[in-house]
Amino acid sequence: MATTLSVILDATLITLVLALAAFGLAIIYGLIGVINMGHGAFLTLGAYLTWATTHAGVPFVAAVLLAAVGVGVVGLVLEHLIIRHFYDRPFDTLLLTWAFFLVMTELIKIVFGTDFRNVVNPLPGALDLGPVKVPVYRATIALVAILLIVATALVFYRTTLGIKIRALIQNREVASLLGLDIARMYKMVFVVGAATAGLAGGLISPMLSVDPYIGNIFLVRSFFVVIVGGVGQLLGGTVIGSFFIGGLETIFSLVSKQVFAQAVVFAIAIVILRFRPSGLLRHR
Amino acid sequence: MTALADAGRAPPRRSLSTFALSENGIAVAVLAVFAVLPLVISGYPIYILPQYMLFGVMAMSLGLLWGFVGILSFGQAAFFALGAYTIGLAMQSDLGVNPAYVGLLLSLVVGGVLAALAGYFLFSAGVRPTYFVLVTLALSIMVEQIAVSQSEITGGWNGMFIDRMTVTVGPWIAVSLSADLPAYYSVLPVVALSYALLRWLVSARFGKILVGIRENEDRMAALGFDVSMYKTIAFAISGAVACFAGALYGTQANFVAPSLGGVLFSTEVVVWVAIGGRSSLLGALLGGVLVASLSNYLSAITPEYWQLVQGLIFILVIMFFKGGLAGAVAGLGRRGWRRQVAP
Repeated sequence: MATTLSVILDATLITLVLALAAFGLAIIYGLIGVINMGHGAFLTLGAYLTWATTHAGVPFVAAVLLAAVGVGVVGLVLEHLIIRHFYDRPFDTLLLTWAFFLVMTELIKIVFGTDFRNVVNPLPGALDLGPVKVPVYRATIALVAILLIVATALVFYRTTLGIKIRALIQNREVASLLGLDIARMYKMVFVVGAATAGLAGGLISPMLSVDPYIGNIFLVRSFFVVIVGGVGQLLGGTVIGSFFIGGLETIFSLVSKQVFAQAVVFAIAIVILRFRPSGLLRHR
Repeated sequence: MTALADAGRAPPRRSLSTFALSENGIAVAVLAVFAVLPLVISGYPIYILPQYMLFGVMAMSLGLLWGFVGILSFGQAAFFALGAYTIGLAMQSDLGVNPAYVGLLLSLVVGGVLAALAGYFLFSAGVRPTYFVLVTLALSIMVEQIAVSQSEITGGWNGMFIDRMTVTVGPWIAVSLSADLPAYYSVLPVVALSYALLRWLVSARFGKILVGIRENEDRMAALGFDVSMYKTIAFAISGAVACFAGALYGTQANFVAPSLGGVLFSTEVVVWVAIGGRSSLLGALLGGVLVASLSNYLSAITPEYWQLVQGLIFILVIMFFKGGLAGAVAGLGRRGWRRQVAP
């Protein structure tokens, strides 16, 4: 009983952390169709900025927000200099964002070095839930992920901005004819996506050792989360996809080594991508 | 725009000067330079160059896909590493015949069959090219992770040591490739042969169909071509070539570790091909050899900054020079030819 409960809790926490990590990607890919291979670099940069600012004495929450702003600014520069000229060529944006990843990773190595960095956990200790214990920080992150998704849902379905964004996804030409400034909307979505990834990187940083390649693990998993959940299904898709990828990973790592479990989950995700290329949520 | 287009536009009377400017002419010149190189220099370059030539062969396997079919794979290094592990395992086992030959042959089969299976699985469903990139990226992660986790077979993080192979012809001749010079001269013909074979393939009807698919997939399907089958075959050939090159690399470098199949190395190949010129096999080959050599040389001096500069060059190539070096050379050649014809 206790182990079942702890597996379920584990899977839930992993799901929500994964959803948090994938959310920035889901925004950029789902809304403006850019396959952002630089997503991992955004996460890594967010983690390093958080490490640097907390190290300089900034309180953790402020540090994470600063990291989000910092990564957002980097996203803005990237979009303005390069990406905006290539929106109609998805394959080139894929290559260019990958090139951005390569450059950013090297910059991170030059500025911060290649050693492991540890961000001090701001909320140590564990919640005692009777038979199982849950680390306080993980539980908080899970809560933040839920809040973020709910907040995005509110913006999406309850504000004028949300209507504009939905119009943009449904029909770019008509939205443009109706007077929407498409270029500005695209820029905004890209920056928000980047900032969300930066925020996620910062929030995740206390849970692992930060090195220049931490984003890599999350890049492919995030893509599978988004594709399995359904591209453009910003809210439900991200949660379903994360639950699928994170949940399976938890279950398989019970019976085999964790690296092997991840390989198996990838294989299953590829099979899903083959038979349901538009995700589990969509029927056609 | 492409070397292929150049070949089609060649003047009817082929003089020596036009041959020298054509891709095949340059290829012969380059291979001739490689052939006489050991007479001029010795030591470390002769030890390391065969490995980079094999990187070049892997780059050609990607050039075939990316340049001629328009499919980009982020997983070529996964096949390369698979080949190295294959020959490593073959040479550990006690076989009646020369184990290296078995390993090389197996690597062709393993690479070809796996690529054919993965390719057919994906292409028959019409998986879009961007998703194919993601899947191949995942494949290279999987190969790396499996190589790490199955340490009883692969040696895990520590990697696997592989002996240099011995070339045997029946019971009469046996030449060990443990010295650098025989190794160099055994790899070079393989590189030349791979180039000639792939070059023949893309200039044959098969290659024209691939280019047709690259340019307009729907039209080719409407004309009755089994598009997914052609893509699958192209990917299978590409996988077999990369795997075979990897097997030779394994015995050449004496060592294989999981990172050889990893994401970073896989995408490094993409950078080589982009810089060398994606629509020219020679461009890809030289991209592999030159950028890898340059990386080695500059990494010794300034590792981080070289990687940074390489990334920036990659961005510039994608943004402004899609043809890469080969495209630039072809452009120059074309201009020179026009001037001759109409002064």
